[in-house]
Order: sequence, then structure tokens, then C-alpha cells
Amino acid sequence: MQKTGQIERTVDREFAEEEGRYRTMERETTELQKEAKAYLDAMRSMSASQSRIAETLEMFYTADRTSDGAMAGHAYKSAVDELDNSVGRDLDAPFRATVLEPVGKLCSYYPAINDAIAKRNKKMLDYDASRSKVRKLVDKPAEDTAKLPRAQQEHDEAKEIFEVLNGQLIEELPQLVELRIPYLDPSFEAMVRCQLKFAEEGYSKLAGVQRYFAENIRDEYANGQLDAQVESTLGEMKQLAIYGI
Amino acid sequence: MKGFMKAVNRTPHQLTSRIGMTKKSSDPEFDDFNRKFTAIEAGTEKILKDSGTFRDAVQTLLYSGSSFSNSFNTLFAPLGAEYNLGAKFPNSEVTIQNIGSYQALMEELRETLNPELELIDSRVIVPCKELQDICKRIRKTIVKRDHKLVDFDRHNNSLNKLREKKEKSLSDEKNLFKVEQDFEIASNEYEHWNTLVKQELPHFFQLSTSFIEPIFHSFYYMQLNCFYLMQEKLQSFADGKYDLSRTDVENVYFEQRGDAAEHLEELTITKRMVSTAKLMADRRVASGSSYGGKPGIGRTSSISSSIKSPSLARQPSTSKYGLPPPVPAPMVAAPPPYTTGEKSGAGLTSAGSIKKAPPPPPPMKRAASNVPPAEYCVALFDFAAQAEGDLSFSVGDRIQIIERSESQDDWWTGKVHGQTGSFPGSYTQLE
Repeated sequence: MQKTGQIERTVDREFAEEEGRYRTMERETTELQKEAKAYLDAMRSMSASQSRIAETLEMFYTADRTSDGAMAGHAYKSAVDELDNSVGRDLDAPFRATVLEPVGKLCSYYPAINDAIAKRNKKMLDYDASRSKVRKLVDKPAEDTAKLPRAQQEHDEAKEIFEVLNGQLIEELPQLVELRIPYLDPSFEAMVRCQLKFAEEGYSKLAGVQRYFAENIRDEYANGQLDAQVESTLGEMKQLAIYGI
Repeated sequence: MKGFMKAVNRTPHQLTSRIGMTKKSSDPEFDDFNRKFTAIEAGTEKILKDSGTFRDAVQTLLYSGSSFSNSFNTLFAPLGAEYNLGAKFPNSEVTIQNIGSYQALMEELRETLNPELELIDSRVIVPCKELQDICKRIRKTIVKRDHKLVDFDRHNNSLNKLREKKEKSLSDEKNLFKVEQDFEIASNEYEHWNTLVKQELPHFFQLSTSFIEPIFHSFYYMQLNCFYLMQEKLQSFADGKYDLSRTDVENVYFEQRGDAAEHLEELTITKRMVSTAKLMADRRVASGSSYGGKPGIGRTSSISSSIKSPSLARQPSTSKYGLPPPVPAPMVAAPPPYTTGEKSGAGLTSAGSIKKAPPPPPPMKRAASNVPPAEYCVALFDFAAQAEGDLSFSVGDRIQIIERSESQDDWWTGKVHGQTGSFPGSYTQLE
């Protein structure tokens, strides 16, 4: 009925504005929660896959466990294992405690708030409807004189309920929206710290492995010689009689 | 078709050898090589899978990093008509001012690392895939060698059987020649393949080691680079903003955490709403005045004080007993009936009737709500007040209902033993 313009609608720009802000916050924090979780999972997956790769590499070196290659492979294995352990031990729990849990807690409030907004909207419909009813009865009094007072009373009740719910939201939504800043700020710093820690650990643990490489390896990597070696080895394999029949 | 016939011819022999009826040759040297080869096959597959996992993980890391930095950026920027957030939250000023550069940094990191990911793809994953294909073809050769072995055993068996036969018939003699010939061929073929495989597998093993070494080195530098770039970017952001001598992330967090969480907890809207009826009842009982005040809902909300507004909750501090009875509006200020305190219920009884006072009260309404046929309910259980304003009673008490909703699950207001207060409807039964 409201859509057809038959019932006048309570216009509440103030509420609309507060709700808009709240919606932005709801959307962004929910996204934040999701992506932060994905970030943690990615860190764990990175270190775990490195550790598995190292394990497989060792297998390739089984022929000669004392070769330089095997030594380097072994050093790599212990470095990534250490990294993987440290991610599991020193990063996972703090990340959860300082980022995932606080953000999750914030997100857990949204269903209740959304319910309150939905309820407020429903009560607004009731209020609008009852007001229009009263107006009609005033414009065109009914034969039954009891109708108007009854409608009036319904209107008053609807109005009171609406105003209570509306008032509560208008008062508290801005508080909630503002609280996001002091609430999320420590989590933000913690997030940056966790990211940095992961990168630092990864770098420092891995960097030590280079010692076991031949001196020229770094340059060979940089100038593409390693790739050429891979290519030529693959080519040699294809020359084998057992490869091509 | 040829292959199919071969398979059919081999089947009976394979069956009999499995159950131990016929002899099966074995070559320990080959078996050893085969074991090694199987390990390389499996290892190639694992490396392929895990390097893919690693690449995907870095990709996710970069993607979600840039995506949550975006969210942070929006959240720390003014929403709608907000302004000057930095001044309002001095503790968060650094973040508010720098969040934009953080986001740019994460975006930059994603762009810088993307080529690195392509390297993993083209220089680790693609060659490993190629190795896998090579393994597949070698495996085929090994299977062929195995088949030739089956043929060898098969013909060997028939030949032996025929030779051992004491009384050979004419056709057996004829056959013997053919069988000998077959055996000769099978033996040569098997010999050929077996030797080939045994000769070349060790070479292949060597090659696979010289294959894996440059792959390992390349992959290592790619990983190192990923971590290095991440560290560099993040360090450049954190430097000067955070005390980097501290690495105990959790403690730093808990030290910085203010009372924002408590404030959130105190808001009414963050709690599940009970019901409108209960909410309105509480309000009337609690404040007695008209709306505009702080309504309270859930029972848990009895903590007072929010950021700037006072109690939004049930306002236990201003006990309803202490308030002037919100009876007839005109005589609001009169405290007299309060000498006994407890007796205030009488006033509250009619609180419901004046709730609609503010707008011009049509006489009828007053009449209507003023003549409620006194309703009673009987307590089914003991109930002890849990908060101020609750009505305690014991089983069997007859409670006069002052206000109630349709649902028994709501909190009602009633009076018993001269006390008035709210209580859970579900503890009672309507008369």
C-alpha cells in the first residue's frame, strides 16, 4: 500500500544515514573476517607445502646423501620445517587471538542488530498504517463512533513502540560505528606485525640455506642458466631409448 | 589387435603363476631399479602438486592481503558524514593517517610478486610436468618389459612341460620344435628389453638428480624472493610506526586494547532482542515516563554507561522503587506514598494505564485500560529475583498480573506480597 502512495510513509533521513554507515561497516568487517582467515590459511599452506617439497627433494638425493646437493637439500628441509613449526607455534595462535577472534566477535553482533533494524522497519509499517487509518476516520468519520478512539489508541501504541525502537537505533548505531576505530585499531597493528613476522621468519630461515650452494648458483639463477640446465637435462632424458618407442 | 591377442595369450600364465602352479622368473637387479623409478615417479607427482599448492597459497596471500587492506582502508576512513576521526581517536591517529599508504603497499606487493609467481609456474611447474610425462613413457617401456617377461616364462613353461613328458606323441614331437622356436624368440625379446631398461634406468636416475638440482635452486630463490619482498614492504610500513623491538604480538595487542570491546558489549542493539512486549513493559516499569529515554531490553544489559550516554540498560541504579510513582501524570512529583517503599506496586498497577498519557487522551482509552478485570496467575516454580525490578515468588503464589503479553515466554509484570516487578511468564500458569 505504501508503494502505491496510499499510505504516507514515515521519512527518517537520520535513520537512513545511520543505517547506511552501519551497512558499510557490516560489509567491510565481514569481508575483513573472511580475508584475514584466508590470509592465515595461506601462510600455513605456504610453509606446509614448502616442508613437503623439501621432503620430496630429499628423496631425489637418496643416491648420494653426502653430496653437496644432498647437504643443501637437507639444510633446506630443516629451514622450512623450522618455519612451518614457527608458523604453527608462534603465529597461528597470536593471529587468531588478535585478529580473527576480535573481528569475529564484532561480526557476531550483526545478526542481532539486523534483527533490531528489521523489527524497527516492521514497526514503522504498523505505525504508518495506523496513522493513515486515524486520518481517514478523521476525514470521514465512521458511523460507529467508537472506531476513531480505538484507531487513535492503536496509533498511539504503534507510535510509541516505533519511537522506542527507532530511538534506540538512532542513538546506538552511531556509537557502534564509531567504536569500530578504537576496537579495530589494535587488531590492525597486530595484523601488520603478524604479516611482518611471517615474512621475516621466512626470509631469515631460508636465507641461511644459501651457504650450502655453490658460489655461482645465485648468478646462474639470475641469468637463466639454471633453466637452461633443466631444459638440457629434459632433452637428454628424451634421448633415452626407454623414453621413445 | 596384436596387443590384445598378446594379452589374451598371457592371461592363463599370469593366473597359474600367481597361484604358484608355474614358475615365474625374477630379476632382483631390475626390481631394485624399478623401486627407485617408482619413487621418482611419485616424487615428481608430489613436487608438482606441492609447488602448485605453494604458488596458490602465495596467490591467496597476496589477494586476501590486498583485499583486507581495502576493508581496513574503508573502515578507518570517515563513513558518511564523519569527520576528523584522528582528533576524536588520538590513539588511532597513526593508523587513520597511514591506512591509505598501507593499502597502496599491499597492492604494490601483489603487483611485484605476480611475476615471481609466473616464474614458479614456468620454471618449476612446467618442467616438472614435463618430467612427469617422461616418467609416463618410461613406465610404458617398463610395462612392456614386464609383458615380455610373462611371455618368456610362459614359453619356458610349455617347453619344459613338453620336454619332461615321458612318452611324447607324434604331434608333441612336432610341437616341440615350434615351442622351442617360440621360446627362443620370447627369450630374446625379454633379454633385449630387460637389458635396455637395466642399462638406461641408472642413467635416468642420474639425469633426474641433475634435473632436480637446478629446479630446487630456482625454486629456492623464488621462495626467498617472495619472503624478501614481503618483508621489505611491510618493514617499510611498520618502521617508525610500531615498536619493532617487541615481537610479542599478543601482549602488544592486549596492552593496546582499550575498553572498546566493553562498550560494544554494553550496547543494547548488540544483544538479541527479547520481544517488543517485554521491551515496552520494561520501559514502562523502569522509567515510568514517556519515551525518549533509554529503553532497555535484555536482562544482561544491566551494566550502565556507554560511551557517552548513560545507561541504556535496565537502569538498576535508579531503582524503580525510588522513583515517584508514575501514577496520574499531574502529580508526578509527589513522593509521599513512598514511605514504605515496597508498597509502590499500587502506583505501578496503574502505570500501564497512563502510558498513553502524552497525546490528548481520549477519555475512552483511559476507561478501557483502567478497567482490566484483575487477572491472576499461579506460580508453578519458585522464582528468585535476578536483577533489581524482578518479582520473587514461591510455588503456589497467586500473582496479580499488571501487564502481560500474549506469549508465556515473555516477561510479565505482576504483583504479589505487596511487591511489584517483572517475572518470566513461563514460571506461572494463568488462572
